[in-house]
Amino acid sequence: MFESLQHLMTGFGIATTIHNLLYCLTGAIVGTLIGVLPGIGPIAGIALLIPATFGLNPTSAIIMLAGIYYGAMYGGSTTSILLNVPGETASVITCIDGYQMAQKGRAGPALATCAIGSFIAGTIGIFGLVFIAPPLAEAALAFGPPEYFSLMVFGFIVLSNVTGISLIKSLMMAVVGLIIGTIGLDPVTGDARFTFGSIYLLGGIEFVAVAIGLFGIGEVLINVEKPADLLEQRVLIPRLRELYPTLRDLKRSIGPILRGAGIGFGVGLVPGPAPVIATYSSYMIERKISKNPEEFGKGAIEGVAGPESANNSACQSAFIPLFVLGIPFAPPTAILLGALLIHGVSPGPLMISQHPELFWGVIASMYIGNFILLILNLPFVPLFANILRTPKKILLPLIILFCITGMFTVNNSVFDIWMMLLFGGVGFLMRKWAYEGAPLLLALVLGPKLEVAFRQSLMISHGDFGVFVNRPISMAFLLATAIFLIFPAIRLMFKKSKKGGI
Amino acid sequence: MLKRIFSILFVFSLMMVMPLQAAEFPTKEVQIIIPWAAGGATDLIFRALGATTGKYLGKAVVVVNKPGGAGTVGYTEAMKAQPDGYTLTSGITPLTILPHNVKTAFTYKDFEPVINVVSDPGMFLVRSDSPWKSLKEFLDYAKKNPDIITVGNSGAGGGVHLIALAFEKAAGVKFNHIPFAGGGPSVTALLGGHVNAVSVSPPEGIEHVKAGKLKIIALFSEKRFEMFPEVPTVKEQGVDFAMGQWRGLIAPKGTPPDVIKKLHDAFKKGMDDPVFQKNAKDMAVNLHYLGPEAFGKLMASDHELFGKLIKEMKK
Repeated sequence: MFESLQHLMTGFGIATTIHNLLYCLTGAIVGTLIGVLPGIGPIAGIALLIPATFGLNPTSAIIMLAGIYYGAMYGGSTTSILLNVPGETASVITCIDGYQMAQKGRAGPALATCAIGSFIAGTIGIFGLVFIAPPLAEAALAFGPPEYFSLMVFGFIVLSNVTGISLIKSLMMAVVGLIIGTIGLDPVTGDARFTFGSIYLLGGIEFVAVAIGLFGIGEVLINVEKPADLLEQRVLIPRLRELYPTLRDLKRSIGPILRGAGIGFGVGLVPGPAPVIATYSSYMIERKISKNPEEFGKGAIEGVAGPESANNSACQSAFIPLFVLGIPFAPPTAILLGALLIHGVSPGPLMISQHPELFWGVIASMYIGNFILLILNLPFVPLFANILRTPKKILLPLIILFCITGMFTVNNSVFDIWMMLLFGGVGFLMRKWAYEGAPLLLALVLGPKLEVAFRQSLMISHGDFGVFVNRPISMAFLLATAIFLIFPAIRLMFKKSKKGGI
Repeated sequence: MLKRIFSILFVFSLMMVMPLQAAEFPTKEVQIIIPWAAGGATDLIFRALGATTGKYLGKAVVVVNKPGGAGTVGYTEAMKAQPDGYTLTSGITPLTILPHNVKTAFTYKDFEPVINVVSDPGMFLVRSDSPWKSLKEFLDYAKKNPDIITVGNSGAGGGVHLIALAFEKAAGVKFNHIPFAGGGPSVTALLGGHVNAVSVSPPEGIEHVKAGKLKIIALFSEKRFEMFPEVPTVKEQGVDFAMGQWRGLIAPKGTPPDVIKKLHDAFKKGMDDPVFQKNAKDMAVNLHYLGPEAFGKLMASDHELFGKLIKEMKK
């Protein structure tokens, strides 16, 4: 542990040289911009800037590219809160309460809480990275296909009713998500499924198209349906003193932030869709333990603070498997792996000993970067919050325009734009009949992974279902799922007996 | 970066003013379509090659990613591009696999080969503590226990899956093939002991071999690895088999031969450039130059081979 501290000090020495600070700042600024623009995610952003780093030394290059990654995670919540447009998987949950807060004139506190929560969670994540990273990375290897399957089942059952409004409607939407998730190439045989001969459907439905469609476009359509005079009244204009969170807001947020950071860090270590599971779990837990669960979905600050912190801390801990095992668990870290390779650094078991200046320099720069992002983002809060002052008749078409251009930049595909508009229509109908988008998106992300893990497990075990219960970790997740399913019944009995006692 | 954008805009504005003349090729920048997402091995290699080739070609080389449909979207678009030499595509092994697996509008015959740049050998990795010390022990066990050894691959019907299928045919054994969502996850599963072996091509897993956690049990190249000179190829050990994955550049059918020649010469120089040589070495990719004719033959023979393998697999 002492040795780690010493290394970290050396790392700070490397990261605080003027030119590395400059690259860190550049990365953070570019990342924030990329995060704020819907569509262009960290993946495209990093890939576009890789050639620009050819002339740099590897440490500076990775400092800048990593800055883009976590900068984009910071910025990603902005469009979710202001416009209900989630730019990536991680910010879907933020839409729910963040957007409601903005509609009530509290966009400022929501944005500021995101920045503060991200900073605290990022800091915790980095300390975890320094002190407990290497042993934890090895633990992730214990997750094989059966464990993975049970984890997905657990996540699926527990998280599908994330907003807690109607279990039946949530499960219905989850099934729709599962069905959409089967479109594309069969993961085991490589055959085309439900593509109707279209080559565009071979790769499956693009997640971002569904997310932006259901949330962003759907919201715009709902607004369009309203009478014009009613429309302009709906958004309360924030006053200056309301732009930043009050002491009460902060008090309410600190618990969710710390819990979110813990959840995110743990989930980020496990291979899989970490941002989704981390943000959904954090939201679920905050709603369950809140004294005012009825506020959730109507603009509860806890519902923004928790998931945003979970997301940021998951994004930091995703660097552990990348650096220690050389294996990217998430797409953005896969791009970073490519960038490391092109600079002649192969992440893996030998990286920390072979390139200590890079490893510790990048870690230290992440800490500095988080601080830069905090002081960079807070002054922008009023600016962003004022976007909502724009009259709706101008703002709504602009949102559509942003969504379309943003969507195109994801895969350079016009087909994705049509998909997004189609799901916009679906989102409009769902909203009218009070169906929720969040369970559908969860199922769309988890479904294909669940299927692969299930089929892999049975292929390895030669069709023996015992593989799921004979392995301790897998068994634990299945047990937890079962307990979760009967828990409400037990609690009901418990409540009854307590009442009887009094 | 900004400067580059302005210079591109400037070039565009000039193009608007000047009448397009079929004078000396190239008069504008050359585009390489990558049918996969940014950041993958193919993307990185051609971005690096494009960066060094620009100066020999006289115009910039721009990489455009058109991912989707396991590569089919990008190839379909590339096939329909103007055959004027300004739109190239990265032609890699799956180009000769996809048409057998799903209904595609294209095959390799819809493209003209320009140059092959990379050929990565296939290989099997096992854990260092695995019971098999040599290829012979591995194959003996597989012969006695057909369908028992689990071999991970990066995806059903992908390059390394088919290499594994071809190898089991050549060696007369049967493995239990487990598909994963990419090379990374398959290597992770091997490290965790969830599968017995994986079929990969470098640089996947190389770092773990260097660290002594994994070892190469079967190497499918003609020559030994520079990095691991002590690892023998399977050919040396009596299994007549060698196979790898190639990455080259192709142009739409009907591109004039003199344009192909100009492109080939420029990219050849770009390949020989010390900067690109260093990039390739750092990425641990195996550079393997082939001219248009040899590259075309390679695509034709692989197309036929994969067709047979997939037919057998789907039976």
